[in-house]
Amino acid sequence: MGRKYDIAMVIFGLLGLLGIAAFIYQLQKGLIVTNMRNPFSWGLYISMWAFYVGTAAGGLVVSSAINIFGVKQLKPIAPVASLSAFIFAISAMLMALPDIGRPDRLLNLFQYPNPSSLILWDFVVLSVYAILSAVYTYVQLQPRIAERGISIPLIGTVMKKEVTAAQLEELRRVSERRAKLLAPVALPFAILIHTVTAWVLATQFSRPWWYGGLLAPTFIAAALTAGPAVVILASLAIYGFKEDLKPTYRLLAKVSAFSAAVLLFMYYNDFLVRQWWGNGREYDALMLVLKDNLHIHAIEVSFLLAGIIVLAKKYDTFSGLVTGSLLLNIGILAHRYILFPPAYNLIPFRVPVVMAGESFEWEYPIALGEVRGTLLDPQPIFVSYWNYVPSAVEVAITVGFFGLITFAFLALMKALPVRE
Amino acid sequence: MVRYGMVIDLNRCIGCRSCAVVCKMVNAQPPGTWWQRVETVGSEEHMVPVGEYPNLSEVFLPVPCMHCENAPCVKVCPVGATWTREDGLVLVDFERCIGCRYCITACPYGVRQFNWQDPDENVRQGFERAGFDSNWYADGEYRYGYPVDHRTEDGRLVYTNKRPRGVVEKCTFCVQFVDQGISPACVRGCPGNARIFGDLDDPDSEISKVLKDRSAFRLLEDLGTEPKVFYIPPARKEGKGGVRYGEKI
Ligand code: SF4
Ligand code: SF4
Repeated sequence: MGRKYDIAMVIFGLLGLLGIAAFIYQLQKGLIVTNMRNPFSWGLYISMWAFYVGTAAGGLVVSSAINIFGVKQLKPIAPVASLSAFIFAISAMLMALPDIGRPDRLLNLFQYPNPSSLILWDFVVLSVYAILSAVYTYVQLQPRIAERGISIPLIGTVMKKEVTAAQLEELRRVSERRAKLLAPVALPFAILIHTVTAWVLATQFSRPWWYGGLLAPTFIAAALTAGPAVVILASLAIYGFKEDLKPTYRLLAKVSAFSAAVLLFMYYNDFLVRQWWGNGREYDALMLVLKDNLHIHAIEVSFLLAGIIVLAKKYDTFSGLVTGSLLLNIGILAHRYILFPPAYNLIPFRVPVVMAGESFEWEYPIALGEVRGTLLDPQPIFVSYWNYVPSAVEVAITVGFFGLITFAFLALMKALPVRE
Repeated sequence: MVRYGMVIDLNRCIGCRSCAVVCKMVNAQPPGTWWQRVETVGSEEHMVPVGEYPNLSEVFLPVPCMHCENAPCVKVCPVGATWTREDGLVLVDFERCIGCRYCITACPYGVRQFNWQDPDENVRQGFERAGFDSNWYADGEYRYGYPVDHRTEDGRLVYTNKRPRGVVEKCTFCVQFVDQGISPACVRGCPGNARIFGDLDDPDSEISKVLKDRSAFRLLEDLGTEPKVFYIPPARKEGKGGVRYGEKI
């Protein structure tokens, strides 16, 4: 891993610094430096939050599959899987941070929690999930840590103990037993993080693009697509493409591709239902996807389809696994992004106008919340459509945080004895 | 129990936007932010009728916060910064809001406004864009708007003309006046006298009497938000205010 690893660390580290710099800039200026405005109040950050919640799935689902359902093929990569769950659960919460107008008041979440708010519950389940994943990783690695220790740059190896072969055997048994105990506790949370995240949006009756019972199942399908795909990529980076790992990769590839197919089925099932009636708010939301946001829709579907095909056919080659996993993740990313434009640009407050010659639904415009235009070049403050494109700062923070996350992931992978 | 509500008589509204302007001044809204909107229904431009001549329609629809009984903004707020006071007012605590903007997503009426940057910066930009070369009160303590901070009985900051950045704000039914027994500014500022404010639970209040006599409707009734702002529908005006019933089809 030596040289390549160092180059990767430098690149991701620099990206991370860029992200932090952009975040500091945003803290100084306020959220005005994003392109979100009153009519379009959540954008790229919250899309990424939903995306990372999804990628966090792989880990615990994989680990639980081993310990509850006895799927032995997955065992060799279990520590990497649960470590990725931990990292991405933290990432999801990290990604929500730049979206908050008053990060200095975050402690209010503990001081004045409102139990009817699903954002609060999402925060709770994500935190528990992150802690469980961390504990789970530690439990799995405990014997190896005793044997080989944790290597921290500049400090050296820590937590290494002098153990006899018999003691090591005992440690392994204990670790195995504890993992078995933890798995049933962790699995419900692995499912809850996606459903609760979906419920944050799906409960909003005034947003027909989200509202309803279908969103949570599609979130689970998206998570079971992105999660295993991320675990494939991480395992390839750590363990490489070894002969004895082939069954593991095959299984993960199958789960991911199959989930993507299920996701597409649920998605288009919803499309058909919306389309058939040919009118109304549900239909209009669909039209916002198929007209104004067709380019994003094209990306999500073509990448998902291509990813399914590649993973289903080429799961036994290194390049096939990498390409397929990347394709699926990009598809899911676009799928997450498209959660927002059709929701916000269908202004909930519409007034029916019925006249002899025509009838239509008129959208009551919303004040943007920014100073626009000049005296000689006035621009409307009240709009009923906001063409949201993430600003440079939003992109810098998002890309930068991705760098930061990957940096942390790689660093942990190196420090911890994840290899056999 | 007092339960405050408002009636807006659309027959009386002349679309002058006085309510929006007086609200903006009195409640110290930064440039770009509006708690109160008045639009011509169906039209792209205010004061331009919709339809083809001679079948024209021009209905003005003023929209404050509805102070919903089943308010989604209250339910979604993770920290209870938005809450319903005992008298039915839905208020935002400027000192508790974390700026997550979930409530903006939840409110179907589009009345919630976020302070995307320091409001003083909005004022400075406002001066600049309007062609003044300096900010008139950049360094002074002066800000426009009702000058005294207002707190509820339990000490929550619900009005200040020095608005913090990164928090949400919206129509409060002029809580700083209501607590002194005075009507909201829009009610007092409306030249057409289109608005009535009062206690919905008191059968003798003016608002209850009006609601008893007239047919009223609420906005987006089918969402079940149960607004406490009621509208009296406009009658079609013909000639000198009469209604025409044709003899033949
Ligand atoms: S109109 Fe909007 S802001 Fe006002 S109470 Fe209802 S949901 Fe809340
Ligand atoms: S933006 Fe403020 S008032 Fe609105 S939900 Fe978040 S914390 Fe509550």
